[in-house]
Amino acid sequence: MRSPITSLPAKNGILFGIVLVSALLIPATGAFAGILAPEAGGGTPNAEAIRSLYLLIFGLGCIVFFGVGGLMIWTIVRYRASKGAVAVQVHGNNRLEVGWTVGAALLLVLISVVTFIKLDQIKNPPNSSANGLSTPQNASFSSGPAKPSLPPNGRSLNIDVNGQQYLWRYTYADTDTNNLNNVFSYEQMVVPTNTTVTLSIRAQDVQHSWWIPELGGKFDAVPGYTNYTWFNITEPGVYDGQCAELCGRGHATMIASVKAVSPDEFKLWYASQKASIVAAEKQAATARNALIAKDAAALKNAPSADAPAAAPAPAAAVDGKKIFVAGVPATGALACGSCHALADAGTTAAVGPNLDTTLKGQSAAMIKASTLYPNKLISKGFAANIMPANYGSSLTKAQLDALVKYLNDAVNGK
Amino acid sequence: MTTTSAAASTTAIPEVVTNSAAPRPSGWLSWLTSTDHKRIGIMYIVASWMFLVIGGVEALLIRLQLAVPDNTLLSPQTYNALFTMHGTTMVFLFLMPMIAGIANYTVPLMIGARDMAFPKLNALSLWLFIAGGIVFYGSLLFSPAECGWTCYAPLSETAFSPSNGVDSWIFLVHLVGVSSFVGALNIFVTITNMRAPGMSWGRVPLFVWTMLTQAILLIISIPVIAGAVTLLLTDRHFGTHFYDPTNGGSPLLWQHLFWFFGHPEVYILVLPGFGVISEILPVFSRKPIFGYKAIVAATLGIAVIGTLVWAHHMFTVPLPFFLMIFFMLGTYLVAIPTGVKIFNWVFTMWRGAIEFPVAMLYALGFLATFLLGGITGIFLATFPVDWQLHDTYFVVAHFHYTIVGGAVFSMMAGLYYWFPKMTGRMMNEKLGRVSFALTLGGFWITFLIQHSAGLSGMPRRVYEYADVNNLGTYNMISTVGSFILALGVLLTIINILQSLKNGAKAGPDPWRGNTLEWFTPSPPPVNNFDIVPRVRSVEPMQDIRRQIERQDRVGEEAGVAAGS
Repeated sequence: MRSPITSLPAKNGILFGIVLVSALLIPATGAFAGILAPEAGGGTPNAEAIRSLYLLIFGLGCIVFFGVGGLMIWTIVRYRASKGAVAVQVHGNNRLEVGWTVGAALLLVLISVVTFIKLDQIKNPPNSSANGLSTPQNASFSSGPAKPSLPPNGRSLNIDVNGQQYLWRYTYADTDTNNLNNVFSYEQMVVPTNTTVTLSIRAQDVQHSWWIPELGGKFDAVPGYTNYTWFNITEPGVYDGQCAELCGRGHATMIASVKAVSPDEFKLWYASQKASIVAAEKQAATARNALIAKDAAALKNAPSADAPAAAPAPAAAVDGKKIFVAGVPATGALACGSCHALADAGTTAAVGPNLDTTLKGQSAAMIKASTLYPNKLISKGFAANIMPANYGSSLTKAQLDALVKYLNDAVNGK
Repeated sequence: MTTTSAAASTTAIPEVVTNSAAPRPSGWLSWLTSTDHKRIGIMYIVASWMFLVIGGVEALLIRLQLAVPDNTLLSPQTYNALFTMHGTTMVFLFLMPMIAGIANYTVPLMIGARDMAFPKLNALSLWLFIAGGIVFYGSLLFSPAECGWTCYAPLSETAFSPSNGVDSWIFLVHLVGVSSFVGALNIFVTITNMRAPGMSWGRVPLFVWTMLTQAILLIISIPVIAGAVTLLLTDRHFGTHFYDPTNGGSPLLWQHLFWFFGHPEVYILVLPGFGVISEILPVFSRKPIFGYKAIVAATLGIAVIGTLVWAHHMFTVPLPFFLMIFFMLGTYLVAIPTGVKIFNWVFTMWRGAIEFPVAMLYALGFLATFLLGGITGIFLATFPVDWQLHDTYFVVAHFHYTIVGGAVFSMMAGLYYWFPKMTGRMMNEKLGRVSFALTLGGFWITFLIQHSAGLSGMPRRVYEYADVNNLGTYNMISTVGSFILALGVLLTIINILQSLKNGAKAGPDPWRGNTLEWFTPSPPPVNNFDIVPRVRSVEPMQDIRRQIERQDRVGEEAGVAAGS
C-alpha cells in the first residue's frame, strides 16, 4: 500500500510543537515555577539537576502531547462522516508501525542517556566550598540496601533525621561517642551554607518521608532502615517542606524546614545549643543527686517491720535502687532512671520504655538479659541503639544482680 | 435485520432466529439465583455503579474539605477514612466489578458461546464481590480504616491502627480477591475453549484478547496480595511480626508484595479499557482496526513488562541503586507498546468516515486523557524526577488521568455502546452528549491543575494545607471541576434510568457492529444463539452482512427471473 501519510502535516505538527514548547518553557524557567515545573531556589546542585531533567522531559512530553493530540484532532475533523465519504479499508502498514515503535524507543533512549549524564550530579555530593563550614571526616556509615554518598574528601556535616509521629528530630553528629550530649533540634534544621550536609534518615514508629521541595527529592524514613541524601545550599534562607508519606492523623501537620545560615552564624547557633544542652544535663544531674539523697534518707528511716521475711533484702534493694537512680559514674554506667520511668524510683523520663509496664510479668532472667543486651528485645515505638550496652562491663556482678533484683521487686512485687 | 425473500434456496442462509422457547423467569429471586452470564453481568454493573455513587460522594467530600486552605470541615480522622474508602471503593468495588460485568455480558456473546464455562462459579464471583463490599462498608458502624488504599505497614499494624477498620479492609481484599481470581479462571477457560467455529486466535475480537490477558494478570497477582494481607492479619491478631521492624520484620516486605499486585492492577484496570476502545473505534470509523496483530502483541507486551516494574512505586525507599535503574528502564519499556497502541487507534480513524455517537465521544475522550496520563508516567518513571514528584498531587493527577482516562472513560464508552444490546433500548444521545461534555470537562478541570499543586509542594493525603504558592487557587479550581464531573456522571445515571423505560427500540444491531454479539437479538435470549455462525475474519458481522446482501441480490434476481 502506498503510504497514506503524504498529506499528513507531520513536520508542521512537530514544528508547531517545538514553538509551543519553547513558548511555554521560557516562562516556566522563571515566574511559572510551581505551575509547570518544580520549585527551585536553594542552589543545591542535585535539585538543579533534577529540575533540568524534569524540564527536558516536560519539553519532549509537550511535543508528543501536542503532536499526537493535534494529529488526532485533525483526523477527527478531516475524516468525519459526511455525504459521499468512503472509509478506506486498510488493515495496517508495517513500515509505519515499525516507525513509531522505533520513534518511541528513541525518545526514551534520549531521556535515559540524559538521566545517566545527570545522575552523577544528583547522586554524588561535591566537597564543601572553601567558604563553607570545615567539617570532620565522617565515620563509615552502616550498610543497608541504600548506600550513602559522601563527597570525594569524605567530609560533610552529617545530621541524623528521625521521623516520628508527627515530628522531625535532627541530631547533629559530633566527635565523641556519647550520643546523649549531641546537639539536636525539632522541626527546624539549621545548616551552614556552601557546606555539604549529608542526612541519615530513619523513622522510629511508622514510615515518614523527608521532603523539602527546593532541596531536591524526597527520601522515605522507613522504620528498621536508614536512607540517605544530601544537599549543599548556596542561598541563605528558610526552605519549607513536610512529611510526604501518610503517617497517621497528624500527617498534614508534620512539617519540616531547613534554615540555611552562614557558617559563622551556624557556629554561634551550634555553640549556644551545645551550651544549653550541657546546662540542662547539669541541672538534671543535680536533681538526680537530690533525689538519691532523699531516697537514702527515707530508706534509712523506714520501719523494717513491714517485711521481716525479707530481712536481708533491704541491703540489696538500697544498692539496686541507687544504681537505678544514679548509675555508677566511676565505671561509666549511666543511671537507668535518667531515661526510664519507674514508679518505685519516682523517675518519669520517657527516652526509653516505661519499666512499670514493659517489665510487668517478666522474669528476672529476662530483665537481666535486657539490661546486658538492650538491642535483643526492643519495645514497640522505640529504636535500637538508644540504650547503652555497657552494663555488662560497667557493673560488677553483685551490682548487676542487685539492680535486677530491685527492678523485679519494684515491678512485680517481692 | 432483514430476512431473506421467500426464494426457496437450498443453501443455508444466515439469519437471526429469535424463537426463544420458554418465557424468561422474572422476579427478583430469579435474578438472585441466576447463573446466566448476562444477568450476572448486569448485576455486576448495577452493584458497581452503586459503589461508584458512594465512592463519588466520598471524593466530593474530600474535595470540599480541600476547597479552601486550613479548612476545618472534616476531622483528620474522617478525612483519612474518606480517602481510604474512596480509593478502595473505586478500585475494588467500582472498576474491577464494572469491568467484570461488561466482560461477563459481552465476552461469551463476542466469541459465540452460550454461557461462561462455569456458570455457578460465575455466580459465586458476583456474590463474593458483593459480600466484600458489605464487609468493607460494615466498618462504617465502628471506625473505617485510615491507612489509604495501599495500607502501608507498620501504620496498618495494631500498634498504630488499633481499630478493626483495617481488618475489614483485609477481608474486603480477601473476598474481592477470590471473586476476581475465580472470575479470571472462568474468563480464561471460556475464551480458550468456547469460541465459535472458525474463531482462531487471529480472529478473536480485541476486547476478548485484553480480557484474556487481564485474566492471566489477575491469576498471577491476586495470590500475592492475598498472601500479603494474610500476613498483615496474623501480625495484627496472632502475634507474628512479618512487617514489624522492631522484631525483625520489614515494612519494605509489605511494599514489595503490595506493589507486585498493585502495579499489574493498573493494567488489570486499563487493558480491558484498551479492548473496548479497540472495538468501538473501528465500528464508528467504518474501518478495520489498524494493525490488529500489533495491538495484540502490545497487549501481551504490556502485561509481561508490567508485571516486572512494580518497584517504580518505591523509588523513595532505601533501594540499591542498580534496582532503581532496572525499574526505571523497565517502566520506559512499557511506554513503547502503550505508545504503539495510541498510534494504532489514531490511524484506525485515519481516512475513515467517522461518526460521533456518545460511545465514540467517550472513546475519543479516553484517547486524549490517557495520552496525557501516559506522558506524565514518563516523568514518574525517571527516578530522580520521581524523588521530587512522588507522593504529591502530581501523582494523584497522573493516576487519575490513567485510571479515569484509561478505565472509566473506556467503560463509559462500553456502557453507551453495549447498553442497546443489554436492554434492547437506545440511550438518549442528546443527554449523553451533555453528560459527556460535563464529565470530560469536569475531569480536566479537576485534575490538570493538580499537577501544579504537586509541583508547588502539596503532598497527597493531607487533610489541610497552608495558603502558600497559590495552593488555595489550585484547589478551589479542582473542587469546582469535581462537582462538574459529578454532575456529568449523574446525568448518565439519569439517562440510564430514563432509557430503560423510554429509550428507542434498538434492534439487534443498531451500530452496524463488527462482532458476534450484534448477531443475536437485543437483549439476547437465554441461550444467546440458536445458530452459531462460522467465523471467517476478525469482523464476522461484516462478512454476514455482505453474505446477506449478496444472497438478497441473488434472490431478487431469481425472483425477477421467475416473475418475467
